[in-house]
Amino acid sequence: MGFLAPLMLIGLVALAVPIAIHLIGRSRARVVKFAALDFLMATKRKTARSLRLRERLLFLVRLIACAAIALALAKPFTSCERKGPHVTRGPQAAVLVIDDSFAAGYLIDDKPWLSRATAEGRKILQQLGPLAEVAIVRASEGADHPTELTRDHLRLRDQLIALEPSARPADTTRALSRAAQLLAASSHSRKTVYLVSLVAKSSLRPDDPPWGKDGPALVVVDLRPDKMPNLAVVSLRVEPDPGAGSRGVSFAVEVANYGDTIAKNELSLTIAGRVVARGTLEVPPRDRRTKRFLATLPAGARTSDAMVSLQGDALPIDDRRWVRASLRDEVRVLLVDGDPRTVRLDDELFYVQAALRPGDREDSGTQMRTITPDELAGVDAKAKGTAAELDLADFDVIVLANVPALSPERVDALAKWVKAGGGILVAPGDHFDPAAYDRTMLPLLPQALRDPIDTTWGAQESDRDSRALHLVKWEADHPIFSPFTKSGAEFVDAKFYKIALLGPTTQTADRKVLARFTNGAAALVEASIGSGRTLLFTSTLDRDWNDLPMHPGFLPLMQQAVRHLARKHAAFGESDHLVGSSISLPAGDLKRLEVRGPDNLGAVFEGDRIAGRSTVRFTRTERSGVYRIIGTDQTASTHERDELAFVVNVDAKGSDLTRAAAEELPVSGTGAGTTPDDASRRVELWHALAAALLLLLLVEGFLVQR
Amino acid sequence: MPTLPEKIDPVQLARLGSLPMKARVIVQGALSGMHRASLHGSSVEFAEHKEYSPGDELRHVDWKAYAKVDRYYVKQFEHESQLTIYLVLDASNSMRFAGGGIPKIEYAGLSLAALAYLAIQQQDKVGLVACGDKSIETVVPPRARSNHLHDLLAVLDTLMTRGGAGDESPAVALGRIAELTRRRRSLIILASDMFDASDETLKILSQLRAQKHDVSVLHVLDPHEVTFPYDGLTQFEALESTNKMLVNPAAIKREYLERMDAFLTKTRASLAAGGVDYHFATTDRALEQTLLDLVIARSRLGPGRRA
Repeated sequence: MGFLAPLMLIGLVALAVPIAIHLIGRSRARVVKFAALDFLMATKRKTARSLRLRERLLFLVRLIACAAIALALAKPFTSCERKGPHVTRGPQAAVLVIDDSFAAGYLIDDKPWLSRATAEGRKILQQLGPLAEVAIVRASEGADHPTELTRDHLRLRDQLIALEPSARPADTTRALSRAAQLLAASSHSRKTVYLVSLVAKSSLRPDDPPWGKDGPALVVVDLRPDKMPNLAVVSLRVEPDPGAGSRGVSFAVEVANYGDTIAKNELSLTIAGRVVARGTLEVPPRDRRTKRFLATLPAGARTSDAMVSLQGDALPIDDRRWVRASLRDEVRVLLVDGDPRTVRLDDELFYVQAALRPGDREDSGTQMRTITPDELAGVDAKAKGTAAELDLADFDVIVLANVPALSPERVDALAKWVKAGGGILVAPGDHFDPAAYDRTMLPLLPQALRDPIDTTWGAQESDRDSRALHLVKWEADHPIFSPFTKSGAEFVDAKFYKIALLGPTTQTADRKVLARFTNGAAALVEASIGSGRTLLFTSTLDRDWNDLPMHPGFLPLMQQAVRHLARKHAAFGESDHLVGSSISLPAGDLKRLEVRGPDNLGAVFEGDRIAGRSTVRFTRTERSGVYRIIGTDQTASTHERDELAFVVNVDAKGSDLTRAAAEELPVSGTGAGTTPDDASRRVELWHALAAALLLLLLVEGFLVQR
Repeated sequence: MPTLPEKIDPVQLARLGSLPMKARVIVQGALSGMHRASLHGSSVEFAEHKEYSPGDELRHVDWKAYAKVDRYYVKQFEHESQLTIYLVLDASNSMRFAGGGIPKIEYAGLSLAALAYLAIQQQDKVGLVACGDKSIETVVPPRARSNHLHDLLAVLDTLMTRGGAGDESPAVALGRIAELTRRRRSLIILASDMFDASDETLKILSQLRAQKHDVSVLHVLDPHEVTFPYDGLTQFEALESTNKMLVNPAAIKREYLERMDAFLTKTRASLAAGGVDYHFATTDRALEQTLLDLVIARSRLGPGRRA
């Protein structure tokens, strides 16, 4: 405590006044010799006590009153810690960044944390006053952000009231960055960002600060309790388990404990709506543990949705995780090796075989048989037991790698097989003769082939790489490219030294170039032949004309291509889609496709939205759970397409509510001239003293009257 | 003789000279116009004649009748002896209190002086006993001589001048009278404020009455003691002890008056139950009025109890 006018404390000598009055008052009492004192003495105990009390009270009141006068004139003040954020009223630009991630649904006293946050937000909005231009930016990942500040505080208030926890994790850094952009466009000199957040470490990217030194002032409104323990199912993987029978599947559940105490919780596995297994799991603090469940899928279903759930904690949304469990269909592939070698590395199909059956494991999902073109030539699709004793009906896909042009009979046989629903992948090579292909192979190709071009022809060895071609345009929504990132980092660096050019279009239906090279030439062309598909890759499948097999994208590209040709996308639903992700659904021959998700989320694709498209994109994955697909085919028959159903889960990174350290928070900028306020504030006490003095005088008057 | 006012103010009376003078003024003021004193009881009043028979006192033979009728007749009187009156003055410290008029002891003393004067005039024997100061025993034995009145009033004057001392209860003085009278019926008049901590005084008064004595009590209080008119912070100091009390009178007035009223009621009731004649007077009351009340009350008691 301090005094603004300490000299006034000299007035404390006025304390002598009540003391003098007290002493004088005592001697001033009239003395009466009284005979009937006994009658008075009978009341003595009571009156003497009350009189003494009154006198002392009066003395005390006068002392305090005198001291209060002197103290009030000295203007005392004290400092205290601020409670809540300091909000200055008046014209200014401000952005409220509110954490509406799924973690905002954390229950505190049976109420979600977000209700506290929005209440605080409304308070700040009120304190800013009507002259402030404000925007509300939601901090959940992928949230829509406002485009400008506004003075329409009523609308902002309604926005706050309507806020609900989303199912996405928080991306506070992005929200702060957007807030800084909004404030930068304002002409106000005072610019402040109020961050009403759980300030979770996982939501911040300290390496990517949202603003520089001249950024807005940052006021962090910390409303989180000291401890926020949380248990979450962070991963759920499923794979066939032959050991548990033909329908056996194995679930690996990973549970993370983000609390500071050991957690023992019960897990339950639900398949197709029935709880089939339970178990307990003990997870040390700040650690993860995996629990395995063995189960069998219901009879008659090749695919089913499964859910693992924990006993509820304060944040229930991340206590459940879904997965699509499928009994994988094996793709039977017939590989025709146009350039077989004894050195496996030099073999035309060495890389394809490695990609389709990685590790040569039984559970790779692919059965392969490799033959030579001659063996293929002896094959009669109708008559079994010929040279190769092959029946094309035993295969789903045929790969013709660097195969010389086949005889028209063989081509006819293969074309029939394709039209019946088979899939064929053709890739040229050194044994490829464009003229011969033009003569016989056209029924199997989406487009005629021309002479290959060698981009490195005549180039020095040092220029060879620089003149190589790269893949630049591809149909990202196509099932073949769906596993890849948008940037295509997995294959974009692959160098193509030699490619075959395409000739005039053949009569194949639905011809589509799925990928192109940097020179505009087609790299991958797809077409339908009857009920089957043909796929033409204009370079080799080994390293003769390119180095694609050396890139990580080659394996998924081959697998996807083969599964696409075989029309088997069993692995589709098994992918771990996260809330907010965009999902490409194969439209196939459907004329209407309906997605039904949890909480009535869904979409209907029909008419122009699906006509002529091989895939449709569904983006409303705002809730975790199972999304089912209802398809209507060309014959107008509608039924559920179980193989297309998919699940969406919350992003486990948002479950970690560990508080970010102060240095991990963005540094508060100068707010274009304003300085951040001190954490403490001065409280002047003399008003209270003056009020107390008034009260004391009233008490004194009352006591004197008694 | 100066013309006396119709009512004698005790304060003005106190300014007069000697006590005998004051006593006479009171008596004359009270009894002027009356044909005879109510407080008689003289032993010389003739009742009837009776024929002499042996054994009768010769001094009571009426020689004039013998001369007329030549027979011996003996005079018979109503009372054979003089009335003995004991005046008891409470001269304790509490009697010194004077709220605004004269002190209680002076009022009581004047009243007793007037009674003594009256009694001596009627040739009754009057004695005086004072209580209060334990160290000095003030007893004037009863005599009927006129110069005895002078002695008695001198003692009374001394007591009044001294103004009261000590805290001895009137019960002690009354006890002494009980010894002195030795079964001779007497009239005992006590003038006191009756501030006796114990009930001894009331008890012994009742005992005296039971012993066939005529007992009267003149209860003297100061008007301030009855009305408690004080205001403002006041320190009350006891007269009979060292007790002091600083108090706001307004705060306790009601309770004090209730207690005083209860005291008066109790005293009056207790004395009435014992057959004691009770008179209450405050020191601002006219003295001759108080005297008259006392005398008239005695006359109403009838011959058996007349003084």
